[in-house]
Amino acid sequence: MSISSIRQIIVFAWQSFWRNFWLSIVTITIIVLAFISVNFLLILNILSDNAIKVVQNKVDVSLYFNHDASESQVLETQIYLSAVPQIDDITYISQAQALEQFKQKHQGDADIIQSLNELQENPLGATLIIKAKDIGDYPDIIDVVNNSKYNNLIQDKSFDDNEVFIDRIKEVSDNVNRVGLIASGIFILISLLIVFNTIRVAIYTHREEISIMKLVGATNWYIRSPFLLESIIYGLLGVAIAMAVTYPILGLIQPYVNSFFLDSTFNLAQYFSQNIIKILGVEFLITVLLNVLSSIFAMRKYLKV
Amino acid sequence: MIILKDLSKFYPPDVHALKGVNLHIKPKEFICLVGKSGTGKTTLVKLMIAEEKASKGRIIIGGWDITDIRNREIPILRRQIGVVFQDFKLLEKKTVFENIAFALQVSGISLVRMKEIIPQVLKIVGLEGKQDRYPVQLSGGEQQRVALARALVHRPKILLADEPTGNLDTQNTKEIMELLLKINDFGTTVILVTHNQDVVNSINKRVITIDSGKIISDQKKGKYIL
Repeated sequence: MSISSIRQIIVFAWQSFWRNFWLSIVTITIIVLAFISVNFLLILNILSDNAIKVVQNKVDVSLYFNHDASESQVLETQIYLSAVPQIDDITYISQAQALEQFKQKHQGDADIIQSLNELQENPLGATLIIKAKDIGDYPDIIDVVNNSKYNNLIQDKSFDDNEVFIDRIKEVSDNVNRVGLIASGIFILISLLIVFNTIRVAIYTHREEISIMKLVGATNWYIRSPFLLESIIYGLLGVAIAMAVTYPILGLIQPYVNSFFLDSTFNLAQYFSQNIIKILGVEFLITVLLNVLSSIFAMRKYLKV
Repeated sequence: MIILKDLSKFYPPDVHALKGVNLHIKPKEFICLVGKSGTGKTTLVKLMIAEEKASKGRIIIGGWDITDIRNREIPILRRQIGVVFQDFKLLEKKTVFENIAFALQVSGISLVRMKEIIPQVLKIVGLEGKQDRYPVQLSGGEQQRVALARALVHRPKILLADEPTGNLDTQNTKEIMELLLKINDFGTTVILVTHNQDVVNSINKRVITIDSGKIISDQKKGKYIL
């Protein structure tokens, strides 16, 4: 295809865009809505992933040993558990450290400190704090502990509350994700239909040119290319505008994100900026594929070449 | 050479537009294809430019059997056959130059080359200096000349003119006919489809008469007989 032909195809597509201006605006608006909803779905996924990560970092299993368990027994338990593949890290807190931490935690409570001082010996046992490689591994780890010969040395284990919290996050995020997916799906379906209709109208408004093109020996691709290009222009503009609308919203959401992740420094806008090429690339690819598919259907139905 | 062998065209359910047409047209010939409305003349034109497919028989143009032509080959065929119609088929929003350029653009001809070719073709059809006018600023005869210029820019071996004078007055009809004869003199095979008796009788060329989808007469230097 020569430069002259390519230039003509671009001119033709551009003309079609302006000739049906309002239809073009409606088409782009629907694509913008579709991709804003896709972007929100993306934001939601990023936030829920981050929330789970933050909570996961806070999750651990604490094994509180009996007061009379010796240090060597606790350390033996630690060595035994180190061999468990699901375990990422084990922190040993000795009886003395446990007492120190307890005192610091309750330093404002004179009654507790006084009661502690009245006791002749350290009432607290040693603790092993276990971090799993994956949140789902904790039940297995607890099973390993329960079935080990060291179980009778352990007075108490703490885990359950965090598990419920993570399940709640997952549940809420799954539900919102489901609604988001349905909304995005509906918008994408509508944009497919709108692109189909826009290309149909474009074919209709160009019917004279098309008939003359055919008459003077234009190839099928020469006739079809402007319509394909037009649908690609809609998609690219739609995705770009959706991203331009999403960006300022990220700034508005950020204070809420900060208040939710108190001690985390997660920045949504920064995340988008760092991954902008990947996000736009995938969205451009999706819109180009869908729009091209939609316009091919329209051309097969309405453009006999 | 155009050869039509036992050519038939049926439209469901029961319209027989052409029935077993046999025809040989030599290169550089001028043919008048005459007949009443609805006798199959335009169907014949459509078959020759592969706008329609034959139901039966064969069409051979310049040694190329186009009966079962593939879709991607149709543009190649159409660049070798110029076509003009009664309604000119010009784009109202384009100038004379742009209308003719439109035909060259599809072949990927550069603007520089177009600026060389188009004035030459406009000279042949007698429209020098009118390349910047829009179709509405031209008379019917001039519009048909633009259509002829557009059909000629690819230097086709065959020119199909389907009722080219149907919308023109006597004077413009005469001028268009003179132009078609001139194009024929340059070596282009011209097939003129018409039901204008005066036109056919005035040029004294081969006349093929079609009636009810069949050739009923083929005269070397004929007259309109219907």
